Formats: sequence, C-alpha cells, structure tokens
Amino acid sequence: MMAPRLLQNFNGGRALIVTANRSAVVSLDMTLAKLGVTAEYPEIVDARAEIDFSPLNAERDIVFIDGDLDVTGTPEPDEVSRLPRVPVIGLVGVEAPSRLRNLINLGATAFLRKPVHGAAVYTALFLGINQFLLRSDMHGRLEDMERRRRGRRSVVKAIIALMTDAGVDDDEAYNRLRRESMRARLNLEDYCEQYLRSRATTPDPTAHEQALPLPRADRK
Amino acid sequence: MFSTTGPYAVVARSMLNGALLACRESAALGADFTIEPVVVNPGGDLNRYAELSQELIASGIRHVVGCYTSSSRKEVIPCFEKHDALLWYPSHYEGFESSNNVIYTGASPNQHVLPLVAHMLANVGPRAFCVGSNYIWAWENNRIFREAMTAQGGQVLAERYAAIGDTELQQVVEAILEARPNFVFNNLIGTSAYAFFRLFRAACKERGIDQAKSIPVASCTLSEPELEEIGEEAVDGHLSSSVYFSTLDNPANAVFTGTYDAAFPEGPSTSADAEASYIAVKLLLRALHDAGTDEVAAVKQAVTRQRLQAPQGDVWIDPQTLHAWLTPRIGRSTEKARFDIIVEEPAPVRPDPYLVTSSPRYAVSSRTPNLRVVR
Repeated sequence: MMAPRLLQNFNGGRALIVTANRSAVVSLDMTLAKLGVTAEYPEIVDARAEIDFSPLNAERDIVFIDGDLDVTGTPEPDEVSRLPRVPVIGLVGVEAPSRLRNLINLGATAFLRKPVHGAAVYTALFLGINQFLLRSDMHGRLEDMERRRRGRRSVVKAIIALMTDAGVDDDEAYNRLRRESMRARLNLEDYCEQYLRSRATTPDPTAHEQALPLPRADRK
Repeated sequence: MFSTTGPYAVVARSMLNGALLACRESAALGADFTIEPVVVNPGGDLNRYAELSQELIASGIRHVVGCYTSSSRKEVIPCFEKHDALLWYPSHYEGFESSNNVIYTGASPNQHVLPLVAHMLANVGPRAFCVGSNYIWAWENNRIFREAMTAQGGQVLAERYAAIGDTELQQVVEAILEARPNFVFNNLIGTSAYAFFRLFRAACKERGIDQAKSIPVASCTLSEPELEEIGEEAVDGHLSSSVYFSTLDNPANAVFTGTYDAAFPEGPSTSADAEASYIAVKLLLRALHDAGTDEVAAVKQAVTRQRLQAPQGDVWIDPQTLHAWLTPRIGRSTEKARFDIIVEEPAPVRPDPYLVTSSPRYAVSSRTPNLRVVR
C-alpha cells in the first residue's frame, strides 16, 4: 500500500477562519495570502459559531476554529474516527482541557496559539492538512478491513463449496476464486458471496476445469 | 554583520564591501542624515550571530544588513522579531520563509534553482548528482531541485553532503565518477566548494575526461571571487545560476564595478552577494530618507515604494513577501575567473519564496514508481 502523498503547496486553497477575535489572526491572514490561500470569516453570533461542513471541499478548504468559541459543526464529524470533511486547525487561546477537547472533537489535526505568529503558519498548514490526509487514508483502509472481515465467512464457505464441486484442494479453490474475482473485477469477498448465491440457484456445478459460473467482465 | 573570517569569508568580505560602498554613496541621496556603519564579524560561528544581533539591537540599532548562510539567518530572526528590528538579508537562499522582520534582497528559489533545472534538462542531460554542505541551504535546495527534475523527467542519481569547511572530498569525487551523471549540482559553499572544484577537475584529468564538457558542475552560489579562490587549473566551464554577474554590460553596472574596484583594490572582486548587499543598503537608505524615520514599520512601508536602477537592472521589493523582484541569469565561468552570460530573463521576475506558483501541489517522490507489477 502506498502512503498518501504529502501536500506542500497550498496555492488556491480557501481558509474559513472561525473566530471573534480578528486582531489575533492578522498574521495568519497575511501569511495565508503569501501562501496563495484566501481567507473568509464566517459570521459569529454571541460567541457561537455553527459551521456547516457539508458544502466544504477537502481539496480546497481548511477550517481554522477558535477554541475559545462555542462551536458546533453540522454534520458532526464521524464520531468514532473524529474525521471531519475538511482539515481543521485549532486556534488556541485559553489552554484549558475542556477547550482543547472541543477542538479534538471537531477533528483538529494541528494547532496555532493566539495571537498567531506568522512563522508558525506554514508548519500548522503542513501538519494539519497532511495529518488529515493520512487520517483519511487510514480511515479508508480501516473501512476496507471491516468490509473484508465481514466477508470472511463467505470466502470460507465458497472455498469449501468449490472444493466439493470441483474436487480440488483448498489452495486450488482459493486460487481459482481469487483469479476469477480479479477477472470479474470484484473484490474477493463480494465475488464469493455472488458465487454462493449463483450456486444456490444453479445446482449443477460439476465443471472441473471450466470457469466458475459467473459473468466475467473482461469477456467480449 | 558579515563573517569576514571563517569558511565563507571570501564571499562575506565582498558582501561587506558592497554594503560599505553603498554607505559611501549615501551623500548623493541629499538626505539630512549621515550613515555610520557599525561592522561586526561573527567569524562563521552560529552562536556569535545571535549574541551580536542582541548587542547591536540593544545599542539602539534598528537595521542590520547581514548574514550569508541560512542557518545564521534563522539563528538571528527570533531576536529581530522579539525586538521588532529589521534584518536586511542580502543573499540568495532556499525560500520557505517570510519573516515580517526581514527584507530579502537576494534571489528566491524560483529565481535561481528552477531556471537552472530548465536549462540543464534542455541543454545538458537528465541525470544529475547532487553535492552540498550539510545544512539547510543544501538540503532544501537539493529537495527543490530533485522535485523539479523528477517532475520534468530528470533523475537525481545520488546526494552527498559534507560539513561546512570540510575539504576532504575525494570520496565524493570517486562516487560521482562511478555514477557518471550528465552533470553535478553543487550546493557546497566556501572552502569546501573550492576544494571540490579542484579535486573533481584533477580526478577527471587523470582519467582523460574533459570535466567541463562531459560532467559540468552547476551551482546557484558560485561567484567571481570564488572563481579566483578555485585557481586557474579548475576555474573555467562551471555554470552558475544567479541574478548578477560582474560582466553585465549596462551603465549602472559599469559604475558599480568601477567604484567598487577603485574602493577595494585588494578585493575580493564583486559577486552576486556583494551586489545584493549593495542593493540592500541602497534600499535601506532610500527608505530611511523617504520615511523620515528609522522606525521599522515606516521603513518597511517606504521600501516597497522604491525602484532601484541596480547593477543587475531594475530591482524592487514585493510588498506581500518583502522579497525582491530580480532578473535570473545563467553564466559559464571563464579562464579569467569571470562569467559569460548564456541565458538571461528579459525582465525582473516576481519572487515566489514558497514556490506557490512554481511547484506542484503534492510533493514529488522519485522513489515511488507510477506502475507496480502485480503477479
């Protein structure tokens, strides 16, 4: 598996800076401009900010959230992985565990102290965005593992069924299933499930060296 | 603040000369103030840079022209930021920095290494061997070079580093001859670089290789006083990507080289970094005159309003990054320790210290193949 590539040029990005304290982020705004990132300031009402993450685009948007605000995000980031839709960088004023926890819950992957110092911005962007990409990649891999784990029973059943049907040993049965799943452009688990289903409806699976009874995507 | 002794003293002495020359010309401004330069020498010792900066600023000085290596600049920046003083940094560097307390009058990476990559790929070949002094300049400049090369179909065969001041470079030379690249990309500085040029030329000669033709060395640092240090045996045929060469044919440069040579007959001769130091002081003086104060905020505002007819051509400071618009060129060294200019941009190029407009979005990895064989 290849690790995700590092993002190092942020040109064309858009930063949503969620803060009520604009004077603390003057350097942030200036440095973002040098890096080709435009800044926008969502409206804050009574020290409360509600951020709608759903229209945001992870290829372009980065959210800076002031931990001193009462911030809620809609929809909430994935509860288990705390993975938001776009990279989140926390702006830290009061260093209290409750405030920091709120930023973690919103999915922050990097932090900047207020008032923001210009020389810290590139590092925060680099870490925040690339940690987000790494976590998104890990999240994808975990989901894939979960899917495979759920499909494990079908694979075992399909191997046993093919051993019975074709009179081959378990290695050969596995190899055939794997080969045929690649030909059908399905992952092994889905292919095995499909194989078991089709076997249940076509009860004559005696073809020893023939192809398995499934449609093959690459056949013309 | 220049290290006029130590491993990179030759360049630093030419930088000090450039800065002093601009101070001497301050009378021509017609300003109602005079300039008394205070000269300090950190001797190439990183700790001394921070100590001296502290002392200078504590004595009431708000503007310091100095530093050559990036490690020294990074060492002193916190001090300038803490006391809100201004460092005028007069040398080319690797970018990825933009302190609000520094005016950068040397070349940014889009003004030196990127034009060099384009030239070498188009005219010399795709296979490069990188050597450098073991610090931030060479690491970063080699990274930028490697990414730009890889993105355009070139290849970096290997990277070798030596400590600043190290002159035992025989093994590096052997490794290059073993790898047989189309060219060497050199980021060694000071005495290490001079030793390398001599050793490499001699080793090639021994093997019957015409080094300048078969395995040319390209640098972003190499300047005229350094060619003189290398010595006549190995001086010619080296490529340098720079914004200034003393052979530039224009009236401003004729005046600059003439007065410089008259003022400093002992040398070292003019260099790109001497010109950048000259530009830094010229801009500082004009900005002081314009602002009517030495207060940092006012001077920073004022400096972005100046347009200088510098020896290299027109130079001005970009208000967003405080880096200079400069004119990239590539020169080839001659037996007379000067450069023939072989490539020249038609106009000053905007500084892009973070390579925002001139590098790919994602880091380029040369080790990961685009296709994998799956059995």
